[in-house]
Formats: sequence, C-alpha cells, structure tokens
Amino acid sequence: MTVRALVIDDSRAMRRIVTGILGDLGYETRQAGHGQEALDVLHEGWAPDLCTIDWNMPVMDGLQFVHAVRANPDWRTVSLVMVTSESEHGQIVRALAAGAHEYVIKPFTADALRDKLALLGLLPEEVAL
Amino acid sequence: MTHVTGTGPRRRASDRSPSITTLIDTATVQEITEQAWLALVGEDEVLVPLPAPVPADALSAWVEILGPWNGSVVLTCGRDTAHELTRALLGEHAPEVLEDEDVDDALGELANVVGGNVKAVLPGPSVLGLPEVGVTPPPGHEADTCRVDVLWRGSPLTVRVQSVPAERENEVPL
Amino acid sequence: MTLTTTRFDWVRQLVHRESAIVLAPGKEYLVEARLLPVARTMGLTDVDQLVDTVRGRPHPDDTRRIVEALTTNETSWFRDGDPFTALTSTVLPSLTAARGPAERLQIWSAACSSGQEAYTIAMLLEDALPNAASRVSITATDISREMVERTRAGRFSQLEVNRGLPAPMLVRHFTRAGSEWEVSPALRRMVSARECNLAAPLPRMGPFDVVYLRNVLIYFDLPTKQAILRRVRELMRPDGWLFLGAAETTLGVDDSWSRVVVGRSSAYRPLKGA
Repeated sequence: MTVRALVIDDSRAMRRIVTGILGDLGYETRQAGHGQEALDVLHEGWAPDLCTIDWNMPVMDGLQFVHAVRANPDWRTVSLVMVTSESEHGQIVRALAAGAHEYVIKPFTADALRDKLALLGLLPEEVAL
Repeated sequence: MTHVTGTGPRRRASDRSPSITTLIDTATVQEITEQAWLALVGEDEVLVPLPAPVPADALSAWVEILGPWNGSVVLTCGRDTAHELTRALLGEHAPEVLEDEDVDDALGELANVVGGNVKAVLPGPSVLGLPEVGVTPPPGHEADTCRVDVLWRGSPLTVRVQSVPAERENEVPL
Repeated sequence: MTLTTTRFDWVRQLVHRESAIVLAPGKEYLVEARLLPVARTMGLTDVDQLVDTVRGRPHPDDTRRIVEALTTNETSWFRDGDPFTALTSTVLPSLTAARGPAERLQIWSAACSSGQEAYTIAMLLEDALPNAASRVSITATDISREMVERTRAGRFSQLEVNRGLPAPMLVRHFTRAGSEWEVSPALRRMVSARECNLAAPLPRMGPFDVVYLRNVLIYFDLPTKQAILRRVRELMRPDGWLFLGAAETTLGVDDSWSRVVVGRSSAYRPLKGA
C-alpha cells in the first residue's frame, strides 16, 4: 500500500531535498510551488496521506493552505506537517490551531523529519502493518 | 498625531525601532547560521569566524523582516561559493549542470532559513518576506547592523542583520 | 592532522559495537571534530592520543564519552515512545492505587545526558496531573558534570527540539530564549539534577518508584552490569518499575526481576523474595 506525500514549498531546492528524504522513506511524492498549486493537486483527485508545507510562499501561503484543507471534510484524513523557518512561539501555536498536525522547524535533518512522521504513525513501513 | 502626505502615513521620530545591536548579538547570528549549515549543508561543516573580503562578483540573497524591528537579513558570498553551496545543499539531488536559477533558489532558501530563525529571536510578531537574490542587496543602516563574517570551506561568506537605512526610518511599510 | 586508518577503524568498531551506528569511511573529519573536545576534557592534546589512551586502558566512562560524542544526534525526546507513554497509561495508575494520592512519587532518570529524558517525563506528568510538581519528583543523574549542568539549565537548540518532540508539547512547555528553547518553570520545578557514577557505590537517593536506566548498561561488562542492577534495585521500592533501553534486557544478567509487557516495550519489576 503506497503512502503518498505532497511537498509544498516555493524553493525548488527545498522541494528536491524533502522529496528525496520522503522518497527514501518509501513515499510516493508530488510537488507544488505554493498553496494554490497544492489545492489544484487535491482537487484533481490525487489524495495525499501527508502534506509537508512551507509557510511563506507566493499566491497562497502555508497557513492559508492549512485552513483550506481543514475546511473541507473530504480531506479530513490528510496529515498536515509544516516545514518552515518560521519559528516564533506564537506562529507555531497559530499553525497548530489552524489544524496543522505537526511542525518541523527549518533547518531540519532527515532524521528529524522522520521522527516527526513516526510520531504521527505515518511512516510507510508502519502504515503497511 | 500623524501627518498624512502623498506617500502615506509616516512614523514620528520617537517611534524609531530599537537598534539591532540591542536585540541580537553576533554569537547568536553565528549560531543560527551554523545550525543551518550543519543540518542542510553537512554535519561536519565548519564556519570559521574570520573576516575576509568578499570577491567583486558577489551574489547576495536576502529576506525582509517587518515588525517591531524593520530590516533585512542578507547573505553574501562569491558566485563560485554560491555554486559550491548549491551543490552541497542539494547533495545527491543536484543536477549535473547548475543553472543560475538553481543557485539563486538555493541561496535564497538559505537566506530564508537564517532569516526566519533570526526573526524568531527578535521581538515579534514579525512578518518575513519572500527571499530575493541579486548582485546588489538592499542598503542597510551602516551603524545599525549586526554582521558576521566567516570562511566556509575557505571561502568568505557574510551574514548581515541590517536595520533599514536612516533615510527610510520614518516610513511605515503598508 | 588526520586520523590513521587503524585508529579510525578502532573508533568505528567501538561505535558500531556500542550503538549499532555505522560510521562510513570518509567521516574521519567528523570523528576528529567531535572527539577533540573529549580529548581536551581528559587532558590530552589530540584525538590520536585519546584513541591510544582508551585503547590501551579501556574504561567504560571513556568509551561512553566517545560513543556519545559521535552519536549525540541520536538523543531525542520520547525515545522509543512506549516506555514513556507507559508512565501515564499503566505505571502511574498502578502506583497511585498502591500508594494513595498524598504520597509523592519519585522517578529517576539515570544517565540523563543533556536532559531530554528527564524533561520528557516531566512534560508527560505535567500534562497528566494537576499540580504535578507536588505529586512527583524527578531525579536526573549523569556521570558528566557538563551534562548535569545542561540538564539543570533546561535549554535546547533548535536542532535538538526538532528530534521527536511533538509540536504541541513544544509550545506548551517551552519558551524561546534567544536562538534556543527553554523549559517552563513548572518543568524545572519537577527535575533536580546531580552527578552520579553508576559503576560506583551510589549516593543515598530515592527510594524510587520508577527508574529509567536506558542505553547505559551496554557500556559495561557483565559483572559491572550486575553490580549496577543490584545497586539500582536497592534504591527502588519493592513494587517499583525499571525501564531499560529498547534492545536491552535483564535476561542473562540478573534473574531477580520479572518482565512485564507494556505496550510494545517491557518493564522490569523486582521479584519478591529474590
């Protein structure tokens, strides 16, 4: 059973890095450069199990994307993990209150991302059990 | 009472934001930059605090911070260094040929990472702008800048946390 | 100065044996960088000297320092999960029933390192119990003075708090301090840190209701493991709970414990009359 991840970040370098880490963990991945592109992917019918979400992006930022996903009951099983350099205490609170499930602060290591996904029970090897 | 002119409301002199040097020190900026390098560039990377002139063909990436303190966080290094940095950042995912676009994007993301963490040390809440990259970074307030100069793999790299220049102090970004 | 191949190989084998972590060739620079401070702490001038000294005269404290310096990125919060969630799901209810609500429970984080384990326990209890600091006390010990001071300070870098700490707990229990994150006063009230050498007669502490002795017995030979378990048991209540590391067991070491399954991990309880 494949576990799907949508990597959302306006930086191509960061998308490459995160996609690489998730690919190594066994995810099937797609990418989007901002919140609106990501919503388009969801509307297409490609339902991810996980979205990694940068905060600051053009057109639609990560927080707006989180609000949009959580407002749609069809997408209630999608796990939302912020991956961002935004790390003010109040911002982490805001993201979690908006419905993000976890928060990874940049800079992060592959192990740190893996740890957070393990906390959510989202690692492909676990999902397969 | 504020006086409205053609360019919009202005702040009074008494509303000038605090000096950056009272809000953050070079050791903290160094620590933030090191953590970024260790996690994203390589766990055995070393940033040696050592001032050295940045080459003439330097490239800069910066992010604006708008809040109780206004200014930018600017990363500057030589173009060759920026290429090497991009390769190191992308690791096994680096394309064979690096376009300028790839280098701008990588340097911009590093500015975003360092800038976001610097912002979290400063009084908030603040807004972080999207990264910009170019040959000419925005001017800063020379006397109100926190500057860290390091050598990465022997090449100079500068991180500046700079307040808006004196002439722009009285403007309030809308 | 680069590490010779034989010295690097010795370090690699040590690390693999003690932690199952593989140090690939090409990581000599990392080993040099991480072990130089360890050498200096021991009054030696460089890593070559450190390797030669420890090789010639192996001592668990020294090998432990070396392994920890090279594997510190393994230090995470809620390591392996169950031994901590078991605290609120199983251990605490059982102990409160046995003791009564007025008695203060004592927990020991032995080999606390920089404090993640002790504060993990503190966070769980703070969330589970009203006025936790009056109900539980956590003693955190380590052989290293530096680690004890770090635990007391309760400050962690941004990279450290990224490792397995659920974000809701981060915002509930930490505030920012410069570029670091600091535990709340409530957590700090629950934890007291002190130096302690497990391989020597222990200071008067406890008696403990729960002991976390995780991933430290591996550094010692069998007789010392047995001595440590015996000394730990002496500081525990007869109906106390002991948690070891995920790959560790008392089986074959000390048969005066009974094993209890808790979630996907195990706990060990002193056997009556043993």
